[in-house]
Amino acid sequence: MKQFCKILKFELKHYLTNKIFIGVTLILVAVIAVVMFFPRIWGIFKKEDSTPDVGKYLPVMLVVSDAKENSEAVKEAFAAVFTGYEVKVADTDVEDVKDQIKSGEAECAFVLNSLTSYTYYVNNLSMYDNNTAIADEVLKSIYRINAMVQGGFTPEEASAILTAPIEGRIENLGIDQMQNFLYTYIMILALYMVILLYGQMVATNVATEKSSRAMELLITSAKPTSMMFGKVIATCFAGLLQIVVVFGSSILFFNINDDYWGDNPIVNSIFGMPIGLFVYMLIFFILGYLIYSFMFGAVGSTASKLEDINTSVTLIAMMFVVSFLVVIVSMSSGNVDTVLTKVCSYIPFTSPIAMFTRIAMSTVSIYEICASIAILIVSVIGIGVLSAKIYRVGVLLYGNKPKLGSIIKAVLKA
Amino acid sequence: MKLELRNIDKSFGENKVLKNVSISAEGGKAFGLLGRNGAGKTTTIRILMDVFPADKGEVLLDEKPIDYDKVQFGYLPEERGLYPKKKIIDQLVYFAELKGVSHAKAVSAVDYWLDRLGMTEYRNKRLDTLSKGNQQKIQLIPAVAHDPQIVILDEPFSGLDPVNAMLLKDVVKEVIRKGKIVFLSSHQMNYIEEFCDSIAIINGGQVVLEGDLRDIKRNYPRNRLVVRSLQNEKIAREYKGRFEWGENGEIIIILDTLEDKKRVMSELTETYDIDEIKVYEPSLNDIFVEYAENQI
Repeated sequence: MKQFCKILKFELKHYLTNKIFIGVTLILVAVIAVVMFFPRIWGIFKKEDSTPDVGKYLPVMLVVSDAKENSEAVKEAFAAVFTGYEVKVADTDVEDVKDQIKSGEAECAFVLNSLTSYTYYVNNLSMYDNNTAIADEVLKSIYRINAMVQGGFTPEEASAILTAPIEGRIENLGIDQMQNFLYTYIMILALYMVILLYGQMVATNVATEKSSRAMELLITSAKPTSMMFGKVIATCFAGLLQIVVVFGSSILFFNINDDYWGDNPIVNSIFGMPIGLFVYMLIFFILGYLIYSFMFGAVGSTASKLEDINTSVTLIAMMFVVSFLVVIVSMSSGNVDTVLTKVCSYIPFTSPIAMFTRIAMSTVSIYEICASIAILIVSVIGIGVLSAKIYRVGVLLYGNKPKLGSIIKAVLKA
Repeated sequence: MKLELRNIDKSFGENKVLKNVSISAEGGKAFGLLGRNGAGKTTTIRILMDVFPADKGEVLLDEKPIDYDKVQFGYLPEERGLYPKKKIIDQLVYFAELKGVSHAKAVSAVDYWLDRLGMTEYRNKRLDTLSKGNQQKIQLIPAVAHDPQIVILDEPFSGLDPVNAMLLKDVVKEVIRKGKIVFLSSHQMNYIEEFCDSIAIINGGQVVLEGDLRDIKRNYPRNRLVVRSLQNEKIAREYKGRFEWGENGEIIIILDTLEDKKRVMSELTETYDIDEIKVYEPSLNDIFVEYAENQI
């Protein structure tokens, strides 16, 4: 135990004094700071050039109609909805309208044949141009009101009938997927990146010790289990610390800039994440990280050279990528309770992501969660001990990359 | 204190690396473990240090199975092994702490050894900023700083200049004087001869020769005479086919039988102007070449 603590301390110090580790953390915090302070900074610039709106240029939208009374009614209705345009009635022919648009005098034009038929002229049709959709609605309602007035209703009655509100309430007894989708997505992505990143770090760390032959001394100075657990848990602490710094600073920056973000739904949804879910995320991060890091460490110990690491860890990384994909696909399909995700949420290699997603996006009973976590904990210990054995055998194998079979044999013998 | 390896067998897969290896070493004496590359020295050392278990056989300390929780080993691996990118003081203290020494004691022990080896000025430097020879000296510290009972030095003198080799020799002698068991593995036979009271030569995973170095030399056939004379050429003509040239131009006459010794000696002194004549004592190098020349 004493040895384990020494190794833990030494390895942790390695991270905390590592310039790259510190640099990456600071860059992440800086990026978050820029994003979170953006509305405030933007606001300052905006205030500076907030010259009065009087005489401000608005693009011109032309309305052309054969029927005079239509064009006036349409103009009024359009002016009410197209606030970004200066809506003008033009009493010209189509060719003139085209010229005006081409020359830039007008931005766009609606040439009405009747209330139910028009041609929209625009110079460049933007991908986000929804003017026609808006116009459709406006024209439709003018047409209907007109029709109803002709049928004997007063315009007020007609308008009231058409705009009668429907009162509906949603009572969600489970989880609102819409609301949870975004932060679940962010969390899964964070889990995915952090586990792969730190797992690779463990593998590289072990392989570096092996290639620098520091292992020769280490293996005779400390027990392989202490070495493996010390290394992996130190990396876990470093990872947690980084997460706390990154998430902590984003929460801090959010609170500082709370007013500026106002009611931005995306940001509010992320920061409105229930605390319970955050706790689950930490649990699954720690356990998921541990199980993968032990495997990464064991694989790192079998690589003779640092360059071999990449090929060695591919298999483990692939396993993780598959579980990530299964979850992402089921998330996008809107049903996270498929048989596949249910099974995945109990398999220790996939459960950190799969079970976390189910908790976040669906209703899972506490027993299921406990069972999944229990399986994961037992597997972490089992994989930890096994990987320490592989480590003990692996670190002494130099030269050619050992075959899987020979490692298994050696482990069974050890 | 007596350390013994008894009937050790070890295989890696199909490859039998050690076959019935038995050696024993005593406290206050150095033991030379010799063998060609790949003979099984490192495997023997690793079994001794419990890096992996033997397939068969036992490791005994004072006739009892060794308790690795109580016995401390100090090891200088042939491949060397420290962190090149870490501060010297940090890693040396770390290694001492791993062996169970408290932080304060580890720091003072490491400082003592840095001073003893004249390396104090490099205390806070990174290992890879030092020259190879200086790295070598630093490498000795993890083997001794925690005051182990058994010290294993694998090729400790390789890459050292004569002055540093002398310094290291003094350190090794000091460790032996303190009553430790010292295992020395080296291909530089002169060092083994200088330090080791007993040796074992391993060839092809088997101990082919083991025992007290003086006894081994004494029991070596004394059927050769070393003759130094200004009349070497004449002697060579007379003993044509019955002699070989020594390394320094001396003549080594091979006697047919041991009984001839007296007669040949007096013949030579009477006939020629002889500077020196004595029975040839084999060097460890000779013994090593004889026993390890043909790989088993």
